[in-house]
Amino acid sequence: MRDSKSSVLLLVSLILFLMSFVILCTWGYNAYYKSKEQKHVKSNLKEDSAAIAKATSAIANATRDSLQNIYAATIRNFDSKLDSTSNYTDSIRKPLDEKLGEFITLKNEIAEILKDKNNDADLGLARQKIYELQIRVDELAGKNKNIEQENKRLFAMLNQLSGSMNERNPVNAKQVVFEERSPNEKTKSVLNPITSNASNLFIASDLRLSALTITDNNKEIETSQAIQTDKLAGAFTLKNDLSPNYNAEVVVVVLQPDGRVLQKSSWESGTFSSNEGKKVYSCKMRFDYTKGESKKLVFSLVNDNYMRGNYIMQIYYNGLLIGKLSKILS
Amino acid sequence: MSKVNGKYLFLLACLCISACSITYAQNNYKLKFKRSDVYAGIEVGSKGVKMSLVEINKDNQKISEFNILKDTSINTDFISFTQPTFQATLNGFVGLYNTAINNYKISPEKIFTVISSGVKIQAEKFEKNAWVSGFIDSFKLRIKEPARLVEVIDALQEGRLSHLGIVPTSRRYNTFLIDIGSGNTKGGYFPNGNTTDFKLFQLSWGTKSTANAADKRMEDDKTTSNFNKQLYRVLAGSANDEIVYSVNLSGAYNMSDNIAFSGGIAWSVATLINPELLDNPVVPVTYEEVEKFYERIYKNYQSLQGEEIVKGLTDPFLNIPAIVKEAKTVNKVFDQQSLMAGTGLLLKIMRQFEGIYEKKQFYLVKNGQVGWVTAYVEQSLSNQNVAK
Repeated sequence: MRDSKSSVLLLVSLILFLMSFVILCTWGYNAYYKSKEQKHVKSNLKEDSAAIAKATSAIANATRDSLQNIYAATIRNFDSKLDSTSNYTDSIRKPLDEKLGEFITLKNEIAEILKDKNNDADLGLARQKIYELQIRVDELAGKNKNIEQENKRLFAMLNQLSGSMNERNPVNAKQVVFEERSPNEKTKSVLNPITSNASNLFIASDLRLSALTITDNNKEIETSQAIQTDKLAGAFTLKNDLSPNYNAEVVVVVLQPDGRVLQKSSWESGTFSSNEGKKVYSCKMRFDYTKGESKKLVFSLVNDNYMRGNYIMQIYYNGLLIGKLSKILS
Repeated sequence: MSKVNGKYLFLLACLCISACSITYAQNNYKLKFKRSDVYAGIEVGSKGVKMSLVEINKDNQKISEFNILKDTSINTDFISFTQPTFQATLNGFVGLYNTAINNYKISPEKIFTVISSGVKIQAEKFEKNAWVSGFIDSFKLRIKEPARLVEVIDALQEGRLSHLGIVPTSRRYNTFLIDIGSGNTKGGYFPNGNTTDFKLFQLSWGTKSTANAADKRMEDDKTTSNFNKQLYRVLAGSANDEIVYSVNLSGAYNMSDNIAFSGGIAWSVATLINPELLDNPVVPVTYEEVEKFYERIYKNYQSLQGEEIVKGLTDPFLNIPAIVKEAKTVNKVFDQQSLMAGTGLLLKIMRQFEGIYEKKQFYLVKNGQVGWVTAYVEQSLSNQNVAK
């Protein structure tokens, strides 16, 4: 009985021992293969995270590029509109300037965000700002459209006014024909394109430029020889059917063959602003004018020596050329 | 022996060449007219002694065409009436007189010596007439010419002579000449069609006194913008009252078509506003041009400096180095604030003649300081002819 009890105990102990052994072996096996697997997983993980990072970066760059493209397209689109807008901004310059200021600030902010390649967190912000930028461009485009429409309306009004002015004063629409002198004096008349300008109200005609020699008994005789010339005498007629009576002034420029301006005297000659820039004039002529009157004006220029060649007389009113004549002295 | 002679000959030749060069250089002024005489005018003014060599055209029956050959001055501050300034002024006066005789070979009868109206006014104010007489006697003694005439001219005479010397005969009776000086402004016109009656115009404001008044109001803020603000206040205040009153009193608005300005500020504005007209002694301007010029002094003074002034000049015939040189001279004489003060005063006076319906022609005379010399010469010569 006692033997059977000890055999049972022995058997139980053996079973426990075997079980312990199996457990130990299982644990050892697990421990061995787990560490090996962990190493493998670690290396795999490294490769995977690199791949993931690469993929993420590509996505971010693609986003950045697309944002950059949207941004560039928005700016391009806006710039082309801005060019046409800037021509017609007189009346709304202040609000437009404010809008432009906002636009430029926004544009710079976006450019800063897109420039910073390491900061992907702000891409969302950039997307938001580009959206805002597009709204602003749309607003400005709307304004541009309004301005263009206003411009068209004003242009049509101006054409209408010019038309009615030409109807009232047909001579103003014509170009001035200056009197031809005798052929041996080689005086050339030049048509003046500016006289057709609606803002230019004086018409110059009957332009003359004569070279005179003064005899011993103080008589003035016309000559065509430079060496015999003692003074140049000029004359022209001005007419204006539109403006009321007023004091007016014209300036005369006489260019010598070498291109220098022939000055009457330092009290008579000065400078004036023309549509070709600042110029020196030979003499200035002031006169009282009555509407519709044909006003004849004369002047003379005295110089010690006159060179041979082509002398050009120009008449300016309000800085605009209203008459031109050339004369050759042989 | 021959070597020694050679050395002496060489030295002698060098000396001769040097002497010739010096003589040539001394008389090397470029005459403008075919028939002319050269005169010297030496004037003792409030600030110092001034000498002008003037070539006067003999072809003209009436003397009114002249050409300035030299213009020299020595600053001495005579009107402080102290012994050192007395001596300095006397030395300057004698020195310039001897220079005219020895260096420029002008005979004594062609040298005219005067004491200006500025000195006369100050001498009367401080009871220093004896001081001025003593000065004239000392001068005569030093140059050993006891009979020399050194006239003390008054403001009326000076204004009249300047008008006769500066304004051409053709514009004599319709031109109002105004000389803007540093301490005051004077001028006038001939109201009755003769050169005897001269209507005098005077203001107690000049370029320097205006600048000083604006400067006094500036306190600690020495910026140009504050100067501009204070200058506006000066010119809108007591200066304006005096200008309006004096111009109205002169009656010049109705009697004149042309308003000509002379003095340092007229020269500087004319030089900078129209550098193209460097050789012209007179420059016609408009009120708007001078107004724009003032803005340019205030906002873009840099553009009026030396080389900057010629930028934008396209005329190929212009003497660019000469223009730059003259602009630099102006820059030395007038700084930004003085130029603003003078131009502001000029504008204020011009404004009185800028009517809505009737516009006057304005002129800036560059060489007004020698105007009186020509008139004085003409007057003296005609007096001599009458005496003969």
